[in-house]
Amino acid sequence: MGTIYFIILVLVQVLILNNIHFFRVAIPFLYLYFILKLPVGTSRSLVVFLSFLTGLVIDIFSNTPGMHAAACTLTGFLREGIIELFMGKDLVEGVFPSYRTFRFGGFVKYIFTCVVLHHTALFMIESLTFFDPLFLTLRIVSSVILTTLLICTIEAFNIESQKSGE
Amino acid sequence: MSINLTVRKLLDFLIRKRHWFLFILLEIISILLIYRSNAYQRNIIFSTANVVFGKVISVSGNVYAYLHLKEVNKELLERNGELEMAVLHLQDQIEAMVADTVRFSGFVPVDSVDHFPYSFITARVVNNSVAKIFNYITLDKGRKDGVAIDMGVVSERGVVGIVSTVSDHYSVVLPVLNPKFRLSGKVLGSSYFGLLSWNRRSTRYANLDELPRHVDFQEGDTIITSGYSAVFPEGLMVGTVSSFRKQNDDNFYSLEVQLATDFHTLKNVKIIRNYDQAERRKLEEEARAHD
Repeated sequence: MGTIYFIILVLVQVLILNNIHFFRVAIPFLYLYFILKLPVGTSRSLVVFLSFLTGLVIDIFSNTPGMHAAACTLTGFLREGIIELFMGKDLVEGVFPSYRTFRFGGFVKYIFTCVVLHHTALFMIESLTFFDPLFLTLRIVSSVILTTLLICTIEAFNIESQKSGE
Repeated sequence: MSINLTVRKLLDFLIRKRHWFLFILLEIISILLIYRSNAYQRNIIFSTANVVFGKVISVSGNVYAYLHLKEVNKELLERNGELEMAVLHLQDQIEAMVADTVRFSGFVPVDSVDHFPYSFITARVVNNSVAKIFNYITLDKGRKDGVAIDMGVVSERGVVGIVSTVSDHYSVVLPVLNPKFRLSGKVLGSSYFGLLSWNRRSTRYANLDELPRHVDFQEGDTIITSGYSAVFPEGLMVGTVSSFRKQNDDNFYSLEVQLATDFHTLKNVKIIRNYDQAERRKLEEEARAHD
């Protein structure tokens, strides 16, 4: 199941979404959905490793070696902490993050925080060679909004996610 | 006993925190990759020049190519028309000159045609980005088709970029829309040259810096390649001057150049092969070494 998610999300990202850029500043990074949907209680090492792998594959397709990998590894590493921050420790092991298991507010907060983290890291790394704070902020904020909206919308239509879990 | 306990505690700690070590290790790998890709010559395995990833991109490129056939066709027709006009114009000139010149048929020139060391390889764009800061273009021709690193790439309208990575069947181009790209350009009709680089925001504009202040030009003037690098021959269209201002140190102009190539609709390009490039580069390196 996870593998199919991975392949579909990567293909959608590199073939379609990488070519979308609203007003030349905002790019949606839907592939994060894969990392964010890993079940709660997956070993931290595995999450970190899978995040790195996802980032690396996206990197290869976008000709940006290391940039996505670095940002994803960071997100994967901090994911568990963010879940604990919003949901506490009393979640059943193995549930998939969703509107139902996290409740609406919790899920949106969780997605938003992770996306902010990932995008900030990614765009910072990308602009290391020259610094243009206003343009950088604009890119981060608009992309965060776009990615969060996209993930929340897709989650709402994800029938698989409504019935599974627990 | 107590040492044993300490060791066990330490081991316990290491195992419990193993995701920390994995995290640090993977971040180091990522940063190494980023660092290495900043070099001009890029990694073949981790880019779309890789056969497997190039293939996937190429299939989607095929679909896009069909969707854009109409526009490409129109562009070619326009270009064809322009060339026909140019041929007619030249023929007219030749006839005028022939009528003017007394011909002596006893003279046999040893080398009548100037040695022209360039040839073209046509290629299709299979992957293209314009919205990032480091943009790259992937082409469907590689080493087996005669493409090599440092060859220039042009479209029907103007300069596109320089080949930076080559695999057997694909090549990745560093386009004008990349901060690493530098090109020597000049205003048509003058021989002073400046350095062209992308302005990093708009896909339509680049800057031509370090142009001496006494150069005469106006808005709308054509910018062409200077031929001072072994990559592009002299006289290729780059763009037109859209605005200019004095640079901080006051002795130079900085020009805003509207690029002739539309990177959004790029589909077919030509790769310029320069037979003399290796020879010229070797000579220049030798000269530098003796310095």
